[in-house]
Amino acid sequence: MEEKLGVTEAQMIKACCLAVRSHKSSGYIKESGSEDTVFAFGGSWADQDFYSHEPFGEITIDPSLFPSLKSVGNNEPAKINQGFFRRFQALLLQTLQAEVEKAIKKAKPIIFTGHSSGGPVAILAAVWYLEKYTRSSGDPCKCLTFGSPLVGDRIFTHALNRENWARFFLHFVGRYDIVPQITLAPYSSLKTKFGQILDFFNPKSSNFHKSSILISQEALTFFKTVLKNASSVASHAACNLMGSTNSLLEIISSFVELSPYRPSGTFIFCTGNGKLVCVKNPNAVLQILFYCCQPGDESEVKDATSRSLYMDYNKELEDSLLGMQDVVYLDDDDDDDTEIPLSANTNASGDTASINAALKDLGLSTRARLCLRAAQAFEKKKLEYQKTIDSKIPMIIKMHDVIADYQKACNDRKIGYYDAFKIQKGTPDFNANVKRLELAGIWDEIVEMLKRYELPDGFESRPEWVELGTKFRKLVEPLDIANYYRHSKDEDTGTYLRDGGRPKRYKYTQRWHEHAHRLNEGSSSETIFWAKVEELRRKPFAEVKDQIVGLEKQVREWVQTEELNNDVFLEKSTFVEWWKTLPQQHRSESCLRLQFGH
Amino acid sequence: MEAEASSFETSEMLARFLGSTPMLTESWNLCARSNVMAPQGFLIDEVGGVTYVAFSGVQSLDGLEPRCGNLVPLSVASAGVSPVYGGADGGMFSALQKQSDENSVMVDAGLLQLFLNIYHTPVFQNQMFEIKKKQKPVVFTGHSIGGAIAALSSLWLLSYYQSISSPPSVICFTYGSPLIGNERLSRAIHQQRWGGNFCHLVSKFDIMPRLLFAPLAPITNHLNTLLKSWQLTMNSPFLIRDLGNQLVELEKSDLFRFVLHYVEATARSLEVGANSFVPFGNFMFCSSDGAVCVDETVAIVRMLHLTFASSSPSSSIDDHLEYGTYVEKISLQFLNRSGDELCESNTYEAGVTLASQSVSTGQEHMVKPIKDCLRVARRIGPTPNLNSAKLAIGLSKIAPLRAQIEWYKALCDESDDQLGYYDSFKLRGASKRDFKVLMNRVKLGEFWNNVIDMLEKNQLPHDFHKRAKWVYASQSYKLLVEPLDIAEYYRSGEYRKKGHYLKHGRARRYEIFDKWWRERDIYGENGNSSNNRSKFASLTQDSRFWAKVEEARNWVESVKCERDPQELTVLWANIEKFEQYARGMVERKEVSIDVLAKNSSYMRLLEDLRILRLQLPYFSPQIYGVLDRKVLP
Repeated sequence: MEEKLGVTEAQMIKACCLAVRSHKSSGYIKESGSEDTVFAFGGSWADQDFYSHEPFGEITIDPSLFPSLKSVGNNEPAKINQGFFRRFQALLLQTLQAEVEKAIKKAKPIIFTGHSSGGPVAILAAVWYLEKYTRSSGDPCKCLTFGSPLVGDRIFTHALNRENWARFFLHFVGRYDIVPQITLAPYSSLKTKFGQILDFFNPKSSNFHKSSILISQEALTFFKTVLKNASSVASHAACNLMGSTNSLLEIISSFVELSPYRPSGTFIFCTGNGKLVCVKNPNAVLQILFYCCQPGDESEVKDATSRSLYMDYNKELEDSLLGMQDVVYLDDDDDDDTEIPLSANTNASGDTASINAALKDLGLSTRARLCLRAAQAFEKKKLEYQKTIDSKIPMIIKMHDVIADYQKACNDRKIGYYDAFKIQKGTPDFNANVKRLELAGIWDEIVEMLKRYELPDGFESRPEWVELGTKFRKLVEPLDIANYYRHSKDEDTGTYLRDGGRPKRYKYTQRWHEHAHRLNEGSSSETIFWAKVEELRRKPFAEVKDQIVGLEKQVREWVQTEELNNDVFLEKSTFVEWWKTLPQQHRSESCLRLQFGH
Repeated sequence: MEAEASSFETSEMLARFLGSTPMLTESWNLCARSNVMAPQGFLIDEVGGVTYVAFSGVQSLDGLEPRCGNLVPLSVASAGVSPVYGGADGGMFSALQKQSDENSVMVDAGLLQLFLNIYHTPVFQNQMFEIKKKQKPVVFTGHSIGGAIAALSSLWLLSYYQSISSPPSVICFTYGSPLIGNERLSRAIHQQRWGGNFCHLVSKFDIMPRLLFAPLAPITNHLNTLLKSWQLTMNSPFLIRDLGNQLVELEKSDLFRFVLHYVEATARSLEVGANSFVPFGNFMFCSSDGAVCVDETVAIVRMLHLTFASSSPSSSIDDHLEYGTYVEKISLQFLNRSGDELCESNTYEAGVTLASQSVSTGQEHMVKPIKDCLRVARRIGPTPNLNSAKLAIGLSKIAPLRAQIEWYKALCDESDDQLGYYDSFKLRGASKRDFKVLMNRVKLGEFWNNVIDMLEKNQLPHDFHKRAKWVYASQSYKLLVEPLDIAEYYRSGEYRKKGHYLKHGRARRYEIFDKWWRERDIYGENGNSSNNRSKFASLTQDSRFWAKVEEARNWVESVKCERDPQELTVLWANIEKFEQYARGMVERKEVSIDVLAKNSSYMRLLEDLRILRLQLPYFSPQIYGVLDRKVLP
């Protein structure tokens, strides 16, 4: 297991012990050993810790704390559970950061862990650590949770996958444990009896593990409510994974608010008889979470309720880790061809047989297995799409070359390609326009796919694409701006720089570049230089004086760093002609006077 | 890759999702309450921000009887209705009637009458006013005949919401509703993409949803007894079976066999007569073991037959009152793993088997036909998303064609003959360049027709027509190319044969693109047209401009030879209206410069008018009044 998961069995057991023990602490406990440093976060069991507000208690992440937790091109921030976040934030403000920095100095692996409602805090701490220390080339940490509720939404999952951080998170979940699914139900559905149930989980409460609660009507209702909502989320996801085209699905979804929370990282399901099933595909995890809790039939509901509330992770882990170590990896990177067997009675051999046995131990029905196949097929399709897109790289490069040649030819004629294109006089201009349109087609398609998350999560952080996107943006965006103002589209719909004026293909590629190089948002906007010029020159000088000074400064910088081509200073360029109309006094004080001087 | 069939069967998963939401239970509970508490009326309830409107299944049979089973055009509903109550264009179901030929969308006369009876009550009008004002999601629902009223109400509200951008959601759940309309209605609903707004729950054996496949005249008496007995039971608080006047076993069996005969005939014949009833929307077939949702008409008809054929005379009648039981079962499905083991390794087949099991309830002989039936509904061909990706590539491939036309326009607008884009093309010679533009125009038209065709065949994603890329691409296509289409229409003299372009010659795609553009809500900046333009638009912002010019030219010609003063007044009013419109466009600089080219049709029209007005006193002195009110351009 160690080589696949990067954590030793001893570390897992130790983390689990500490995680359970930390419930008695106030906040967290830190244990520095010779091998590693473990931070174990205790749980909390107030309504407000699970749901700070209706219906699901989620908030948008704080980008200063979690700059990577977003979808880059779409510029969509992740959402996390506010209750858990508040607890993490409080600890961070107290001693956590200092203690973590002490631990870093020891140069030993760092592990964050938590059990039950301590889990989400450990997850947030780990993400914070990765953002703060690992992104700037520090060592990664590990995060181990045991029966943790879900804490982030699908963007959270997407971001962890994109940053390739998901592998640092190991979530152990007992087959029957209901806690990981709780936040799939809206607060309103649990409200009245939720406090009682939480008391049952709370080691500090007098009702802790009280058996009368285990068989109470409240527990039964709680179990049914959570499971029903989990069923909603899972079957809705399954319909989408299976590619249902029935528009009824969409209409119903507009009436029913579903939980935003989704699993992320690697899940390790404990079957209850010593086996462990390891799953990475977040869609598959979501399905398993629901189906392995499902009772056989209605007569079993009472038993299912009792066992769903009580789960001893210490014992479970010792049983499976110190014994035979029967571990099954459901979606291994090396062999993605193993098909999920659909029936427990399938005669199979090798990998399929062990997978079959594991699924049987998790109690997954044929229906559940079909959902797993759908989750697998969905990931596969993303890879296929990526392959198709990748195959266009040579074509894109060729078209870039054509436009680069056009740019050069224009420079030779002493007219910048922005202005040449805006005038559109000759066949070369027309041909460049055709290439521009063809490129736009390809890039728009990529953008559309990203918008619908049809490409693998890692796509936007692939260096070859980030680079290609930047090249494209620098080369072609000036032509788009030229075209925009040539057709005076600013008068049809407003300026190029307004919301929705600038094509998404440039916004997306700029964000890729900025994210990959950890630049501030909007810092590499040199490609919209011409749009700024066009906008400013349409306004009276006095009104935009400050903006002009700002632009001039930027231009000097961009030309120095060669972000911007020298052709902006050609005699007949829109920029030069406009600049010459500015008041004498302004020009003589301008930081660009030397460039214009010759 | 091309004709790849979907590898998953989702009809059952969708039913499970629906069952796990509160919507079925909430809507059924209100239906049951309205049956008891609101005979001949409806009840309204609000749960979790959603308004539920349930129509009682207990309705006056006197109004129903002579008409039920006869189809009448939907447009009769609006006859004599004040436009205050009507939809956007004055018709209550304007969106459905707009489809090509007006009178062929038909619904059951009796059910329509019941709907109208409720619709015209002040209490209904007030409640609907509130709902429209609140802009909250609405569920219409009803048991039995109430279901049909719910469906008609949904159609009415959906039609009303058509004119609103980003309207609230509307959904309709019916429980054992009779069929409502003909094939044209079904098709119109499909074209509006409203199929997903209707979910008709049909229990396996219930005779009611199958009833209207059969002619009702021979069974009127039986039916009357049956409906009365059903309604008495539905109206009783604890669903106590009515013990009054009932059908005897023999009558039940006659009725059952009579209806079954027609259901079977419908399922067998693929042809649908204009006067027969056809299902629309989704049908959710319920049994005690689960449910499946089917949205494909052929499959629905076959399922209606298959499941009914396994019924018996008495269960076909009793099952109409069992929806409460089914709803409860379906909403508790998540507690049941149903451990039946399959020996199936094919993904699709396994899905079909699971789906067929949830309807066949252990009747082994039904499994195979139901599976066959579900396979009919299987999607063949690439997924909608793949289709839309391919179209995006297609769009970038035709972009050069468009660029060429743009180039052509620029050349025309700058040309010495000062005809402008529109007139240059209309009066074009046989040059290679003109020919190329003609070809590009045809190719672009084909591309966009294909897009619409795919959309209507449900081969594209549901939000396709709301995606910025397509809204903008279609709009700029329309602005660029429609003037050429108009020019071609008047050049070829087609308008002499068919009449004017706007009414008789405009391609349907442009109407659709108009709608997309109207409904766009992409950056929330819809309608900020108050910006003043400093120069003329690159393309005339109303692509119908030239068609209006042509019509106006026609009026001007008519004025010259018209003698009837009444006719003349009408003509002048039309001309005046046009002038106002055109002047507005020009003043706001919403036209492209080609409109103002010296020799363009528009400029020549203005000149004609000026001369005409100078001569006017000789033609018709009584028009002075009109003339005085404004200054000549």
